Amino acid sequence: MDLKSYLLLGELLKKRPATDRENRAFGLEHPLEQNNQIKQLSLWKQKHIAALKKPSEGDLFFSYLYIATMVLGVLVFIIGLFSGIGLLGYSGREPVNIVYFLTMVVFVPLCTMVLTILSMIQAHKPQNLLVHISPAFWMEKIFERLSSGKHPAMQNFKLDPRVGNWLVIERSQLFAWLFSWGLVVALLGTVVAKDIAFAWSSTLKVSPEEFHAFINMIAFSWRDWFPAAVPSLEVIEQSRYFRLGEKIDAGMIRHASMLGEWWKFLLCAALFYAIVLRFGMYLLAKIGLMRALKKSILNQKETMQLLHEMNDPLIVSSANEAHVSLEKSIHGYLRETTKLNTSYHAVLGWSYSKEEIAVLCDMAAIKTPLMLSVGGNNSLEEDSHAISRCKQEVLVCVKSWEPPTMDFVDFMQALEGQADKITVLPLGIPQDSYLPRSKALEVWAKKLASINNDKVWLKV
Amino acid sequence: MSVSHPKFAVVGHPNKGKSSIVSSLALDDSVEISDTPGTTVRKCSFPLMVDGRILYELYDTPGFQRARYVLEWLKQHHVSADKKQEVVQVFIDEHRKDERFRDEVELLEPIMQGAGIIYVVDGSKPYGQEYEAEMEILRRTGQPSMALINLIEKDDYVQEWKRALEQYFKMVRVFNPMSATFKKHLQLLESMAQLKEEWIAPMKISIRYFERYHEQMLQQTAQTITQLIFASLSHVEQLELKDKEAGSVEEKKLEEMYKKTLRGLEYESQKNIETIWHHGHLQKEEKGLMFEHMDLFSKQSASIFGLTQKELIVTAATGGAITGAGVDLLFAGHTLLLGGAIGAVIGGASAYFGFEKLAKIDVLGQKLGQKYLQMGPMENQNFPFILLGRALYHAQSVASMSHARRERLKLEMNEAFKNQWLDENARKSLYRYHKKFQSKAQTDTKNLEAYEKLILEILRKCIDG
Repeated sequence: MDLKSYLLLGELLKKRPATDRENRAFGLEHPLEQNNQIKQLSLWKQKHIAALKKPSEGDLFFSYLYIATMVLGVLVFIIGLFSGIGLLGYSGREPVNIVYFLTMVVFVPLCTMVLTILSMIQAHKPQNLLVHISPAFWMEKIFERLSSGKHPAMQNFKLDPRVGNWLVIERSQLFAWLFSWGLVVALLGTVVAKDIAFAWSSTLKVSPEEFHAFINMIAFSWRDWFPAAVPSLEVIEQSRYFRLGEKIDAGMIRHASMLGEWWKFLLCAALFYAIVLRFGMYLLAKIGLMRALKKSILNQKETMQLLHEMNDPLIVSSANEAHVSLEKSIHGYLRETTKLNTSYHAVLGWSYSKEEIAVLCDMAAIKTPLMLSVGGNNSLEEDSHAISRCKQEVLVCVKSWEPPTMDFVDFMQALEGQADKITVLPLGIPQDSYLPRSKALEVWAKKLASINNDKVWLKV
Repeated sequence: MSVSHPKFAVVGHPNKGKSSIVSSLALDDSVEISDTPGTTVRKCSFPLMVDGRILYELYDTPGFQRARYVLEWLKQHHVSADKKQEVVQVFIDEHRKDERFRDEVELLEPIMQGAGIIYVVDGSKPYGQEYEAEMEILRRTGQPSMALINLIEKDDYVQEWKRALEQYFKMVRVFNPMSATFKKHLQLLESMAQLKEEWIAPMKISIRYFERYHEQMLQQTAQTITQLIFASLSHVEQLELKDKEAGSVEEKKLEEMYKKTLRGLEYESQKNIETIWHHGHLQKEEKGLMFEHMDLFSKQSASIFGLTQKELIVTAATGGAITGAGVDLLFAGHTLLLGGAIGAVIGGASAYFGFEKLAKIDVLGQKLGQKYLQMGPMENQNFPFILLGRALYHAQSVASMSHARRERLKLEMNEAFKNQWLDENARKSLYRYHKKFQSKAQTDTKNLEAYEKLILEILRKCIDG
């Protein structure tokens, strides 16, 4: 996974361009990628990339980074070039001390590479001192300040600090590499354009033999197959330079051609330490960055959610269509009474037995010549027969907890043809002393109102 | 009659909790449930689908309205027992366009298409003869059937219902959708599987998927809680300073901003958890399932969900001692265990002195640049336990809340809850991670994963018992 893919994928994940069903369908369409999450995510990104509006935040960041890298890259190359020219500056009066150049192409790269390895080890921590002291980090900051800045859409753009660490490490290597190329070009240019007398000099008591051994050690990687690029002891002896005297030693002038031999060694040292090894570090940083990108994207909660949606079976247990409701307002008319008569022409018990009706009448001190059981287990014919016997005022006892069905409505409509007044008495359960609950009464009132007949009364 | 997957029609008298049962079994709180009879007017299918494949299907149906008419119609057609089913089908065909029998046609249709019958009654109300017509009609369909006694209210008439229902149904079970646990839910599915031999295998698969689904929801909840704790503990609030110096007004303002952000994080997390557990209706409410009059930073919250000062000191001292013991180990005991002792003292003292304090407020910024006040990350060692306790309690309440429930549920304070999930080992482990989250630099994915695992275990204990 590269940086651009990471940025676009991160942005796409936040946008959620597909539903969980679509994601699962995608997962099932690509069964082979189930074990390769990055590939699966990459395919998913390709499918939905059109959902991002152009230019996306990822595009903007990437192009900003590209421009910053280009500008800073050119800048460090130029700095390297001028540094090289400065280090190899030869006036003709005194030779060029190779120790300075060697420091820049061998010792500084080795030291910074050690620091790079340390910062790589610590790169998983969001706050990494070594990363923050890297020149690339500060160059970036200065560039940000000096340039017209980031695109307004990117002001709040946040990058995972761990990815940020690797990005700084990787770009540091790239800049160091370009800087080294600047030094190499400067060396080649100076060697081609000038006849330079190289020498070495040190305040320390270093004998030519020791220095030769040291040079041999530095040249370990090319001394066997390119011995010409390793200065001989004689060259080292002849090119030792002492500042006292303020002029070039006569012996040096005699062996002027020998002094120029050093350039091959310097070039090989620069190519090996500052170019090849640094390039190796750059590749290592690139691998680290790719791993950090992979880790970062896989640890995002949106990614976990997407992978879960793609790879886990989609279990749906809810309705696949909207539930149809009957919550329609019933407009009707219903009379209510709070008192019962002492006598009725008939007392009917809807789903009550005759015995139960008798008990209810006793309790309410109601007198009636006719007690009939209707509804419940009775046949429709029995109900019709009961209705035919009713006239004048009729009391219908109902179980308040049993909501009225259309069967009851049919019965009431038939009864109103026979009786002059029908009082419906909803009763509660015996444990409640037959008193109905208010909610149950509401339900009965609503249903009776739908009959819309002024003969029907509700005892409340 | 070929049946590709098990189907079950939930039928019964109006207003006996059919929709509640379906809602609970389907984990779907979008089902219209009302105490007004006749809320359901059309049958509605609730399939359990895995990757688009239906494993079983539940039908919510309207209640019987004219059962006696239907039964008399059926009785008028004298046929031998093997033809009774066909008569029911003829009734459906003949009355499909008859508005008077719309409800009966709607409820009988899935049954005649092979659905098993789940007949629902209210066991908190007395048995009545008016149910017999309905049961007789269902018997005539010839489909496998079971009865569910739903206890809508507190009165108990289960025994008399059982006696009546056992005459008509192969199986009678008591199931309260409002209080049924996940285990009861699965037990009911197992009972439903027994209705027909060929349904046993697919229903077993369904149960396995339900278990997997439940596990997925637990994992997502643990993940959400982990993210909440980490985000809250590591949060840093900043306030740009207009003047070069910060006064108490600015400090107070910053503290309010800090608290508001943390409250917001808790709110978002609660909403996510409600979505995970399919309680979408809570989403429609302004506040969802919130702690009434109990702010995240209130003393009440601290006393119910947090650790006592003593518990915190012991935990912090233990944590400090373990860290110090590491130093002792490094010096092979030559420190005379001073490391452990010093660690314990530092840990205990920081818990003692920082019991009330939330987080440090610093003035940051360059001398010539913009100065700003900064608060966070959270330093209080009790706060993570308060936040976690609240999150777990909320998650437990949401996870165990029936999908049939429509009224707003208040989160009541429960002082015993802490003892239910927080033992000494959990306290020590959690404390260690909280300390890491509070120092943001030390947190990596592995810590978050380990913490999530710990939370998952606690959630299992809280939700599954």
